[in-house]
Amino acid sequence: MSFRVEALGPVGGFEEESLGVTEVAPSSEVHFHHFRSGASDLKVAPKWLQMKLPNINSRNRSHMCFGMGENKLKPTVNQDAEVFLLNVVNMSFLDRLSLAWRMLFPTAKVRKNSNAKIAKQRLKMILFSDRCDISDEAKQKIINNVIGALSEFVEIDSQDKVQLNVSTGTDLGTLYSVTIPVRRVRPEYQDSEEDYIGNISNIEYKDTGEKSGNIDVKFDFFLPSDQSKSVNWISGN
Amino acid sequence: MASPFPRLLPSLPFSPSSPPPRIFPGKPLPRLRAAVSAALQWNRKPQLAGETPRVVVVTSGKGGVGKTTTTANVGLSLARFGFSVVAVDADAGLRNLDLLLGLENRVNYTAVEVLNGDCRLDQALIRDRRCPSLELLCISKPRSKLPLGFGAKALTWVVDALRSRPSGAPHFVLIDCPAGIDAGFITAIAPANEALLVTTPDITALRDADRVTGLLECDGIRDIKMVVNRVRTDLIRGEDMMSVIDVQEMLGLALLGVIPEDSEVIKSTNRGYPLVLNKPPTVAGLAFEQAAWRLVEQDTMTAVMVEEEPKKKGFFSFFGG
Repeated sequence: MSFRVEALGPVGGFEEESLGVTEVAPSSEVHFHHFRSGASDLKVAPKWLQMKLPNINSRNRSHMCFGMGENKLKPTVNQDAEVFLLNVVNMSFLDRLSLAWRMLFPTAKVRKNSNAKIAKQRLKMILFSDRCDISDEAKQKIINNVIGALSEFVEIDSQDKVQLNVSTGTDLGTLYSVTIPVRRVRPEYQDSEEDYIGNISNIEYKDTGEKSGNIDVKFDFFLPSDQSKSVNWISGN
Repeated sequence: MASPFPRLLPSLPFSPSSPPPRIFPGKPLPRLRAAVSAALQWNRKPQLAGETPRVVVVTSGKGGVGKTTTTANVGLSLARFGFSVVAVDADAGLRNLDLLLGLENRVNYTAVEVLNGDCRLDQALIRDRRCPSLELLCISKPRSKLPLGFGAKALTWVVDALRSRPSGAPHFVLIDCPAGIDAGFITAIAPANEALLVTTPDITALRDADRVTGLLECDGIRDIKMVVNRVRTDLIRGEDMMSVIDVQEMLGLALLGVIPEDSEVIKSTNRGYPLVLNKPPTVAGLAFEQAAWRLVEQDTMTAVMVEEEPKKKGFFSFFGG
């Protein structure tokens, strides 16, 4: 079960007030959406589920979303509760009454962890791992082939430590990962410094000059004499 | 012979093999006339697609999901449509298809005796009196020692002998596969060109069905259709059982039929009177018959979502709760 704090972009161009999306510690999933226009079809579900607040008469036209989680989030919970209360006291009496009613008597919602969904999730995992089940000797052959292909370019630290892992990722399905400790790159394939003189990389534009007429750029270029790369600022018209 | 019941599921009014009628005034329209008369006919029959004889193996992997029931009922439905069907019980050790069809008393000769030369093939085929187009062939007698010699080649020989018999090849050969994926399974799938995978919507059966699909495709059988058996719509609606849409999504096979859970199945097994012969027809019987229709025409169905229960309005519903 993952816990997400989600922010919706505001309607009306108040970009500076929107919060970013952050992933907080894993706990139950909660969405707290706060809509501006007169959304009167609200459903307040039990604590861990959605809650939409109407905000017909709100003065602060910001859009924020926040969630309530478990005990490890105490400081953020207090912050969120404050903001929540701030919005609530601005609502009309009837709105607050309906909100309280819904909190006290939540309606039945579609259960996220219904048996069918659990079964489907388990079946997906088991089908992926069954379909891509590979024998031990095939694993060894894969490892040997990969070591052979890679040792042309790098020197491998120790062949015994090379491992093949089969795992199931949620989106990608079955993942094969081969971990190889590498000591160093073979000399003929190492980056030669002469190729990189004057190479400009890592360019950052602070000001592209469209509005102010000034260009403010930061970039790196490579000088082989000193090991560290140098940085230059250029501003001009 | 009872006529097929009107199809309750939405479907094409004309069978897929006949072209849609074109309205050109003045031209003779023999196809249109045939199509119209086919639609108006009460007891019209499905049109056979594919080359005869069609050898279909009914398999599942997991035991107890309803392979033998499906073989018996689909076979009998096919026979009632007018096609000649031979049902083969490929379980050499434990056979049950004769019990389901009610023919257990009449089994004298089996395929093992045919191979030994003790009897002819037509003596081993048991014809059902209720429906003469259906014939049953058992592999071995239960009391004899396990026939170690009955392998894939033997069964393929039997099917070829059926194909080239003097009374004409049957339209369908349904092979009832034993449970599991060992030698019996390999024997049963050897002569088959198509497969009918029977499964239930629970996680164990689906895992085994997936494994069996992989084995069938390895063996060269690409035409695999699925029948989902023992479906309980009340559990699906309450989100306790996976829906047929989920099953189809997980396995990725074409769906031939959805058979609801019906207590009539047990009753008819005990009586030895197959389900599809019941008058009035039961839900499961109708579903089997529609599955047989689709098997003949090589058609598939699409699963539909089970309707959710309408939300019960609370007392203070004006609050939106």
